[in-house]
This record gives sequence, structure tokens and C-alpha cells, in this order.
Amino acid sequence: MRSVENALQLEIPLNAQYIRNLIMAAHGVHDHIVHFYHLAALDWVDIVSALKADPKKASALGESLSNWDQNSAKHMKEVQDRLGTFVKSGQLGIYANGYWGHPAMKLPPEVNLLAAAHYLQALHYQRRINMVVSILGSKTPNIQNLAVGGVANAINPDNQSALNMERLYYIKTLIDEVQSFVRNAMLVDVAAVAALYADWTGHGKGVTNYLSAPDMPMDTKGTAFALPGGYIENGDFATFKPIKSFNDEYFKNGVKESIKHSWYKGDWNKHPFEETTDPNHTGMQYDGKYSWVKAPTFNGKPAQVGPLANVLCMYAAGHAGTKKYVTDMLNTISAVAKTKVGPAALHSTIGRIGARAVRCAVLLDECTNQWNALVANIGKGDVKTFNAPKFPSGEIRGVGFHEAPRGILSHWAVIDGGKIKNYQCVVPSTWNAAPRNGSDQPGPYEASLVGTPLADPEKPLEVLRTVHSFDPCLACAVHLVDAKGRDIITVKAL
Amino acid sequence: MHLKEPTISIIGLGNILMTDEGVGVHAVNEFERRYTVPEHVEIVDGGAAGLDLIPFIEGREKVLMVDAVNFDQDPGYIGELENDAIPARITQKASMHHLGLMDVLCIVRMSGNIPKELCIIGIQPKSLELGLDMTPEIWDKKDILIERIVSKLKEWNIPCALRSPQK
Repeated sequence: MRSVENALQLEIPLNAQYIRNLIMAAHGVHDHIVHFYHLAALDWVDIVSALKADPKKASALGESLSNWDQNSAKHMKEVQDRLGTFVKSGQLGIYANGYWGHPAMKLPPEVNLLAAAHYLQALHYQRRINMVVSILGSKTPNIQNLAVGGVANAINPDNQSALNMERLYYIKTLIDEVQSFVRNAMLVDVAAVAALYADWTGHGKGVTNYLSAPDMPMDTKGTAFALPGGYIENGDFATFKPIKSFNDEYFKNGVKESIKHSWYKGDWNKHPFEETTDPNHTGMQYDGKYSWVKAPTFNGKPAQVGPLANVLCMYAAGHAGTKKYVTDMLNTISAVAKTKVGPAALHSTIGRIGARAVRCAVLLDECTNQWNALVANIGKGDVKTFNAPKFPSGEIRGVGFHEAPRGILSHWAVIDGGKIKNYQCVVPSTWNAAPRNGSDQPGPYEASLVGTPLADPEKPLEVLRTVHSFDPCLACAVHLVDAKGRDIITVKAL
Repeated sequence: MHLKEPTISIIGLGNILMTDEGVGVHAVNEFERRYTVPEHVEIVDGGAAGLDLIPFIEGREKVLMVDAVNFDQDPGYIGELENDAIPARITQKASMHHLGLMDVLCIVRMSGNIPKELCIIGIQPKSLELGLDMTPEIWDKKDILIERIVSKLKEWNIPCALRSPQK
């Protein structure tokens, strides 16, 4: 949509920008909560060990770390009892997959219990923040309110069938509730995991060229953004160069994709406007073509994208909220680990997880900022949400980008006489999961796994920790139940 | 619109963009076209939702699901899995997008609010290719799937009535 708007040089009404921004921020918060607790946490937290915890000590520990009001000893005991019933039921076969009781698990029982309690609480809060997305976007995850030129939300503060003050204040309540959970439970849990697995700040670095998009446009043209973005080379903040607008040539000219190692016809390195996508599966050739993923580059080099890239770019750009949350997190990690942990630790598997929690907190603050901006603008009497597009007869081209939960997403459209002539998406997981590029440089996943230590090569939990830290977007679609409960995915150490 | 809080869910599961993977959704939709159910029964298009299914399972008395299931049988084989026979565990997964039914049931079990009766009516799919149409071999079984839904509801003492014939 932004690519079409960019091709048309269409301005977007302020209300539409703020509504889109609120949806993007809430969607990101949802992703980051679910990613940490329901995907990544079980790589580090051992639920079985939580059964050995002293609920009183777990509660005392929780209360020493934050003001969260759901850390009582009574609550910890209840959670432990439920987990006990669950583990005893046995028929679940939870040990079979080699997660829990793995030798690389090393949190104390009380931390495991605290994290398990928050894992269950997070189920409630992820639902609450997702309600913001569904109220504004009609449904989730595939929202229905977007249109080229704005949004399809009618605003009328006094009308029950439009976006009104009641709905807006309900959204505000939801944001505040989730903010309390993220600040008092999630940021603390992530810092504790990071501190107690401090050795993992030395693993999983991979590619340290970082690319991220500026997002949350605050004007109708997309030249001022609430959250900065840009490019950092070799992990050096001094190299930071911002991307300044939706028309920024630095970004537009910098992106190319190679298919030297990908299952598409030919061998080229092209700009997205010029690309084709002709699948051609030729089997596994370790030195030839071996992936469905193309290899994107920025100015000829592979780049890591995602919350870490975003947080580092926002930090380099001097974004106040980001600096505060990064500093707070590093201080908590240093205090728990009893050793000074600095920003260099961020270039790692743990760094990606920590940065995601920081971004989650930044996005929640942004939810509040965008809500305030929207309400203030409506207060001025502006209820406009849409500018109708008009397509010219000749060829036009546009790029749209967005800092999605997994990193920079760009869509590239070539439009001829109002019809799409070419359309390419360069998505976050393509950047990170890229095979080797045209100059045989590995992408971020590949580079990050080199040198990973394995406690048990038969159960490579450590590989999953690093791959999960990227929040991969794969196989959205198959949800087949297996009558015997077998895994869809298996990871083998070769 | 439900005036009473529903206590029973009938959930069709699957991705309708992938031929037979969507059989559960199609079967439950077809059931709803043919039958009416009491107010406390909620019919849900569960699609390929992950954690979003939790509110329709957690705390409900009985939950009936229809889904494509790999029974290691010939395509079209229909089977039922009940309660503890339903695999519910945290699966090894590479992506959050793999949070599937097994994980969701495991999480609901961990949180202590698993329904007293859980049943999956499953059918062995033939094709999981991209495409909106199911294979005829699988869709030919729709009457049997719907009969199985009706008889399970009967077993649970839930009346359902045929709608007046459509012209």
C-alpha cells in the first residue's frame, strides 16, 4: 500500500497515519510478547525445574526486582500446583523433545517459576494488546481497514457506529494495562534471563551490518517519523546513516537481491524494480543453489534486520526512550550478573532477545504518543481519514517500507496505466535467512550459527536458541494435527 | 449474537488456501448451513489461528473440533481423538507461526482450564497443495463428517435441528 502511495506521491491524512501507527505499534507489542514468552522463553526456562522452587522465595525475588502486583507467594504456589498437575499427567510426552531437563538449562528453580507464572499471565496481555489491533483494524492478524490513500475508519466522536470516544478510551485502557505488564514483568524477566545466561552474549553475533526503517510518520508526506531508522556498518555507531523519508534515495538505490544460491531461474543480482521470480527447484547443492530465499544486500553487503537492528539505529540516532530502556536493561543485567555488561553485548543471541523487549517498551510508549496525537487532532475538528488515489496513464514506480516486528519490510511496485506490472517484496526474514549472496557472503542466520557450542549434539537446543532469537517467519500456513503428536520441524546437527 | 455466554464450541480448523488442509473449516460451515444449534453453542471458524483460539477453548465445558489429521491412513479416513488421546504438548518449532493446536491445548492444560470434553473429528487429507478447492475424494466425505458432528452432539445431549430445506 505504501509502495502504491509512494508511486502516486499521495499524501495521507493525519488521522489515517495515527490510526495506522497505533495498529503497527500494538501489533509489534503483541508479536514481541508472544515471541519472548511463548516461543523463545522455553529455550531458556525449564518448567520442570520450577516444580522444585520455593514459592515464597520466588515471590520475594519477583518483588525485589519490580513492583509487579502479580508476584505474590499465593499466586506462585497456585502456578506451581497447576504445573505439577500438568507435568504429572505424563501422557504429554514433554520430555521426549529434549527441551526440558536439557544440560544447557541453568536458571535457578525460583527464576523458572517466576518466568512460568509470567508465561501464563502473558497469555492474557497478548490478547489485550491484540484487541487494539482488532478494534481499529476490524480483525487480526489480517486487518481490513487499510486503503491506498488512508484508512476505512469513519471517525465520529458521538456516533456509536463509528470510531468514537468510548472506543478510543477503551483502547487507552488496554494500552495502559499492557504497559504495566511489559515494564514490570517482561523487561525484568528478559534482563534476568540475559544476566543468568551472560555467556550467550558471546554467541550468535553473525552479521553486524544493521538495517532498519524509520516508521510512525507524523506528517502527511512521510518526511517526519517518531521512530528513526537507518544503516549501521560493522556494528559501529559512528557509521550510522539515517533514512529520512519515504522518498529517500539512499534506501531506494541501496537494495538489491541475488539468486546465485536460490532456486530461481538464472544467476543475477538485481534491483527489486527489475527483478523476476521464476521458481526453479534444482535440489540441494551445497555449493550451488540451496534455498528458496533470495539474498538481499544493502550497498552490496548482507545486513541483519529486526528489533536489534532497529534498537541500535534508534540508539545511534539519539532516540530518548530507546536510550533509556537500553541503559536500564544493561544496568539490571549488570546488577544480576554482578559484572559490568555494556552495549557491545548486544551483538549476540541474547542481544536480539533483549533488544526485542526494549523495542516492545518503546512501542508501548509510542502507542500512547500516537493515541494522544490522534485524540488531539480529532479534538481540532479534523475527522478526515482518506484521500482518493488517481492513477495516471503511464508507468510509475514506488517503494513502501515499514519497520515490522521482524525488521524492515519493503514492497516495490511498478504500475502501468493503473495496473501492476511488477511487484516484489523484500521481507525481514529474507534478509536474515538469506543464503550466501552474489559474492558468497553468508546471511545473518548462517553467520550467527558458526561457533555455537552444543552440550548434546543429538539435541541441538543451542541452535534453536539462536534461530529463535531472530523470530523467524516461516511456513505460516500448515497447522495439520498429527495423531501421534510428532514434530513438524526437526533440527539435525550435521 | 449470543445472549447467553456460550459453554460449548464447535471449531472448524485449517487453512482454506491449501486444499484439504481447510476441510475442517468447510465441514463446520456446511454443518452450520444445514443445522441450527442452541444458544449456548458457538460455531467458530478457527482458520489457522494459534493463540487466538484460546478464548474459544479455555473454560468451555465441551469443545468439538473438526480438522485435517495425519492418522497414517489412506486419504479420506475419518477418525476421532478424545481428551487425553489428543496430543497436547509444546512442539519443537522454528517459528512462532508454528504455534499450532497441540501447543494451544498444552497451554490451556497448563493454565488449568481444559474443557471436560474435548473431541477432534479428523480426516486424513489427500492434498496440502496451494489451492481453494478441496480434492473431490475428501469433499465427498462431507455428509459423513456432518453426521459425525451431529452424533457427537447427540452423545453430549446437545440438540441440533435441520434447517428447512433450501430451494
